[in-house]
Amino acid sequence: MNKYNPPRMNPSSLRSRFATRFLRSLSEINAQKPTASSSSPTEIFRRYRRIKVAADKSMAYSVRSRRTWSRAMLWKLRTRPCGRRSVKTSTIVRKTRHEKQNKNTTTATTTGEDGVVSGVEADELRELVPGGEAMDLYNLLDETAHYIKCLTTQVQVMKKIADFYSP
Amino acid sequence: MQPACSREMQAMDSLLNPTHHLPLQDLQIHGHPPPQFDNPTPSHDDFLEQMLSTASFPLSSSSWSDIDDNAFPQGGDGGSNPFQAMKMMMMMQQQLLVAGGPSAAATGGTHQGGGEGSNSITSMQALFNGFGDGSFSHPQPSFGADSKTDINQSQGPAATTAAPEKPKQKVRARRGQATDPHSIAERLRRVRIAERMKALQELVPNANKTDKASMLDEIIDYVKFLQLQVKVLSMSRLGGAAAVAPLVADMPSEGGGDCVQTSANGGGVSLPRNSNGDQPSSANDSLTVTEHQVAKLMEEDMGSAMQYLQGKGLCLMPISLATAISTANSHSRSPMINHVNPNNGANGNHLLLQSSGGGGDGPSSPSMSVLTVQSATLGNGGVDGAASVSKP
Repeated sequence: MNKYNPPRMNPSSLRSRFATRFLRSLSEINAQKPTASSSSPTEIFRRYRRIKVAADKSMAYSVRSRRTWSRAMLWKLRTRPCGRRSVKTSTIVRKTRHEKQNKNTTTATTTGEDGVVSGVEADELRELVPGGEAMDLYNLLDETAHYIKCLTTQVQVMKKIADFYSP
Repeated sequence: MQPACSREMQAMDSLLNPTHHLPLQDLQIHGHPPPQFDNPTPSHDDFLEQMLSTASFPLSSSSWSDIDDNAFPQGGDGGSNPFQAMKMMMMMQQQLLVAGGPSAAATGGTHQGGGEGSNSITSMQALFNGFGDGSFSHPQPSFGADSKTDINQSQGPAATTAAPEKPKQKVRARRGQATDPHSIAERLRRVRIAERMKALQELVPNANKTDKASMLDEIIDYVKFLQLQVKVLSMSRLGGAAAVAPLVADMPSEGGGDCVQTSANGGGVSLPRNSNGDQPSSANDSLTVTEHQVAKLMEEDMGSAMQYLQGKGLCLMPISLATAISTANSHSRSPMINHVNPNNGANGNHLLLQSSGGGGDGPSSPSMSVLTVQSATLGNGGVDGAASVSKP
């Protein structure tokens, strides 16, 4: 009777992929919910972390390994709960592999030229975009563009879910 | 004639420059910016053969006059064709160089003439050497055009044919460019980065590209904002948090702005802040500081963020809710309500704090919180954003 047919969506778009994954992980988290009382701030914080991680993970999985930032994010999420030793060795491996790219970045930190950007802001951007530490400016901008696009999708989907479920 | 040629040369420069192909020297004569040129390749071969054939000739004015005779008909034919014009320019320049040479050699008089003559002679020898070497065949025509434009622009319309730097003539390709592969790569890199910045500019809402540095700052702020938004949205998933002490806000989708708004319940803390002389600006400053601190805290630990907010007597609520509250309360306590307009340009993307003074009275605040709950339930019918507000 109240059959609501949503408008046709591209089933392989980033948005639908992310939405399906995220809803699935949300339902999993909800299944775990009654175990602990969610009144204390720490509990809330823990749950918030779990949801955020689920959101990031579903976003990264939707992008697969096509992008550097998604690979970096997936790697970070995977090694996060595990031991710290593996983190250090893999970090070193990553850095040595990308050292030659770092050379380009060091030469490109000049200011004043009309096209080359100052190194300070580029470094700040590198911190923000996952996996951006070992990228030269050009690829970094590319990754940033895709990352921004994915973040906006993520925010839109999460907003719609919240609107749908909360009242 | 020279100014006209320089203009055409500049037109060619502008035509050829936007192309992004790597071997820029090859672009000069080859058919890469070819849509503008008709039959560049065959003419290029003709041109080269002509130059090579002249290279074999001894340096004599007769040969150059032959070239002139050959050149001018071509130039006359393709007068409109910029490529032909360039060739014609090349011929003329070399003719000028040669003319300067022999005459100077003949006179041997003035220092300038002698200098020019020696310059031109060595330049011509350099040219011939360049032509003999096949690998330099490409830069040559462009070189000629290049030094021609340089001459025209740096030395004015004077007919001084002193080549700018004689030993570097061989390798200088075009005006503003160099055959140094590093600088070419650098230039390409800059162009590509500019492209990327333009693409990013479309993504980021605040898109007035004054310069690269400010654009990068905008991008950084926007990424931070998006990440913060994800965090806050994931907070709102805590579902049924009405009973929970710290609160939860959702981002209302209307209003055009994705703003999280806090409103003050406790009056004591907010009043001194609001009673400053210039209310909006001072409130803005203090609120901005507060909101930055809240944002920082939210990243680390939600609990501490909530405690901080509670200490300030603030809570989170959507803008629509707060406006509903303010309109509901306007008749009762308007003088104590201080609004910060959420969607002003500068603050469009940032967290917003709104303080509505509670008057510092105990009995009123419970009623106010009751009001908020009521308006929350009432307002959700027409409002997308759902928020659970609880009294701290």
